[in-house]
Amino acid sequence: MKRLAILARWCLGLVIFVLVLEVCARIDDVVSYGAPFWGRYNDEILFRRDSIGKWGKPGARYAKWQLNSLGYRGPELRPGSIRIIAMGASETFGLYEAPDQEYPRQLERDLNLWTGKETFQVVNVAFAGETLPTSILRVPEIVEEIHPSYALIYPDLSSYIWMSVKTETGTASGSRASPASQARISFDSRLAGRVGNVLKQALPSAIQNELRKVSMRREIASRHYVVLERLPEDRVEHFRQDLHKLIATLRAHGVEPVLVTHATVFSKPLSESDHVPLTTWRKIYPMLKEEGFLDMEQRMNDVIRQTATDEHVSLIDADREMPHGTKYFADMVHFTTVGAGAMASILSNGLEPLLDSQLQKAANGTVQALPTEAKRPSTGLPQQ
Amino acid sequence: MSSQALLYVIVLPVAWLLLWPLKSTRSRQALLLFISYALYASWGLKFLGLLICSSVLNYGLGISLRRKQSVARLWLCIVLNVALLGTFKYLPAIAGLLPHSSLSSSFANVALPAGISFWTFQALSYLFDVYREEELDPSLLEFLLYMAFWPTVLSGPICRLSSLLPQFREIFKPAAENIRHGFDRIFTGLFMTALGQLLAGGLHAGQGIDGIFDSSTKGLTGPDVWCLAIGYGFELFFNFAGYTHIVIGAAHLFGFRLDENFDRPYLSTTPSEFWTRWHMSLSFWIRDYLFLPLVMMRREAWWRSFVLVVSMVVFGLWHKGALLFILWGLYQGILLVLHRQWQQVQRRYEWQWPQTIMGPLSWIVTFCAVCLGWVFFRADSVTQAFTMLRATAYPNKYASHTLPASLFLLVAALALGYFGTIGGQRLLRKYSGGLTMAMEVRVALYSVAVYVGVFHLAQTQAFIYFQF
Repeated sequence: MKRLAILARWCLGLVIFVLVLEVCARIDDVVSYGAPFWGRYNDEILFRRDSIGKWGKPGARYAKWQLNSLGYRGPELRPGSIRIIAMGASETFGLYEAPDQEYPRQLERDLNLWTGKETFQVVNVAFAGETLPTSILRVPEIVEEIHPSYALIYPDLSSYIWMSVKTETGTASGSRASPASQARISFDSRLAGRVGNVLKQALPSAIQNELRKVSMRREIASRHYVVLERLPEDRVEHFRQDLHKLIATLRAHGVEPVLVTHATVFSKPLSESDHVPLTTWRKIYPMLKEEGFLDMEQRMNDVIRQTATDEHVSLIDADREMPHGTKYFADMVHFTTVGAGAMASILSNGLEPLLDSQLQKAANGTVQALPTEAKRPSTGLPQQ
Repeated sequence: MSSQALLYVIVLPVAWLLLWPLKSTRSRQALLLFISYALYASWGLKFLGLLICSSVLNYGLGISLRRKQSVARLWLCIVLNVALLGTFKYLPAIAGLLPHSSLSSSFANVALPAGISFWTFQALSYLFDVYREEELDPSLLEFLLYMAFWPTVLSGPICRLSSLLPQFREIFKPAAENIRHGFDRIFTGLFMTALGQLLAGGLHAGQGIDGIFDSSTKGLTGPDVWCLAIGYGFELFFNFAGYTHIVIGAAHLFGFRLDENFDRPYLSTTPSEFWTRWHMSLSFWIRDYLFLPLVMMRREAWWRSFVLVVSMVVFGLWHKGALLFILWGLYQGILLVLHRQWQQVQRRYEWQWPQTIMGPLSWIVTFCAVCLGWVFFRADSVTQAFTMLRATAYPNKYASHTLPASLFLLVAALALGYFGTIGGQRLLRKYSGGLTMAMEVRVALYSVAVYVGVFHLAQTQAFIYFQF
């Protein structure tokens, strides 16, 4: 009987321990982010759903992610500025950067530093998991709300892996989880996510990689995926068509598109440390072999370059200009704060000639002109 | 949390369960040694090899010294240990100063084995004790364990064999009191290290003590420098004393009582008192094995002052072979000498001021003087240290501040919180005979400490003394 009482007391102690941890996590959320103490608190509170799909909820806030009154990440619209929209997915929306350091925000600061005044506003209209087809459907609404002059298109390429995924028993529907929702910013138990983060820090990367491989093999087996060596050509073609459609739609609404090739953490040729993020990537898309991702990036970036030539669209080749490595990328494609700064510099350098001519034209009219010796922003890039 | 911390969290409970049924002291010692080596190996296999070599060498030197206690043999012991320490600790710094060559660059890149300063000083203390004819007769297994003992091998406390040997020879009997006390210390330490981390990082990114020290400190005003000096003093205290709490607590779970390293040092009212309360294991080591033997060589007052300064310079050099640490030791030595001079003046003129005035006054002077010294300890360069200290010397530099108000508030809140907690503890002890808590309340407090220490900051705790 006495042993039973001791055991019961230990169990009670354990329950108290876990409960207090959960309460602490909730208080932390309340104090740090103004989150509600009760109820679910995850990235879903940032979004609403309409006939097209996921869309930003005006004024929503989750952890470091804050949306403005129109439902876009970043500050309110500033009247009188030349607006550039940044279209894309989680890479553009920003996952790992410090608040206010995602590349659209840094780009805006770089451009305004270049002109010496608050000439430009870069509006981040991207969302985690956004695909090109949904972006095309959103264009009219975005243009009506923001009245942008330019649109930077930094598309998520890997969403095309999910299109008509083949299984051994037939064809599965296209959309499972997007990469962004795989790199989840949401937790059901407030404590569980934190435990996961701590373990991610503490477990040696070799062990984490092996665990990923095990989980990947299980998923392939349970869903009967046919594993592809490389992305089928029809999906690349689909991407080309979507890109043309998006450009046409933007132009039809009076917005000048600027295409940006997709950058990754991987160096060319691959370094020893590149195998970990490559496995991480494959864990999200188990149906494509590791080498297939690099091949996919190369082929689809070629499509972006070709489309830019065909459509006479300005191209910024981030794939070639962006430095690689974990200093710049927190995982395979998402930027660190430093990486977002480097990306902003590349975009800023690419946009300046385009914007310069626009400003010169405007100077002849009523809008402000560029200062003759504009101060260039520091690139934040290593000297080549 | 680092990989190594996770390894400790996994290995130690298993080790505890394995030790429990062991009745033989030798098998217990062997298991403890195996665990110690396994955990130490996680910091680098080469380092483990070095630790074993040093342990075996010092064991042999101890036997030789016990057979014939000669000054020559003692010097040989000292030279060999200092040479080993110097090769890894000071040679890279010296090589960095030499003109570039393949030899200097290969020496400059020598990695510092984890805890080498701590276990080398433990070895030396054993040899000094043998030379002084203390009754120490460890077996090789016991000596290897003494050198590699997992709670102390990385960052102390620097233990004496005379205090650990009897404990190594006891049978492990888990006691509820030991476990309770051990957990109390571990969770207190966890909480303290989190506070240290908070000071280092600040309330807003880049606005913590470390961020400001690492960026440009030009243009700092008097209040800014005081805020940084006091803030760093508390950061270092919370970090190192917190680590020591964890180590002592973890050892307690296994039935070992380690020497204390801190005794509320910021309550000291004189610099001499401070050095009996701060990093006590090193401070007492320096006193017993360096200051006392040297000071007894001559009777003159100037010699005593000189030895005091030399001892403190060695104290500084123990941390790192860098000019800043020499200056820090010099500064602390001069403070101790000045304090002695002041005591002599007081005695000569029979000044006896009321304790109600002298107590707070001497506490303020000591606290400020010690904190100002931390500028040498933390600064990134000698120029930065003197630029900062210069700002405190001119009254016109006190008109404004440039550091964010949040940092001033954080430092003030943590300093007041620390003193308030000590005051509260004293009152509780006085009026209720100490605080007794139900197990459930204790568990809840542990949980809060774990949250604050592990989950809230969600970043790897960097223990400052691991670099020494």
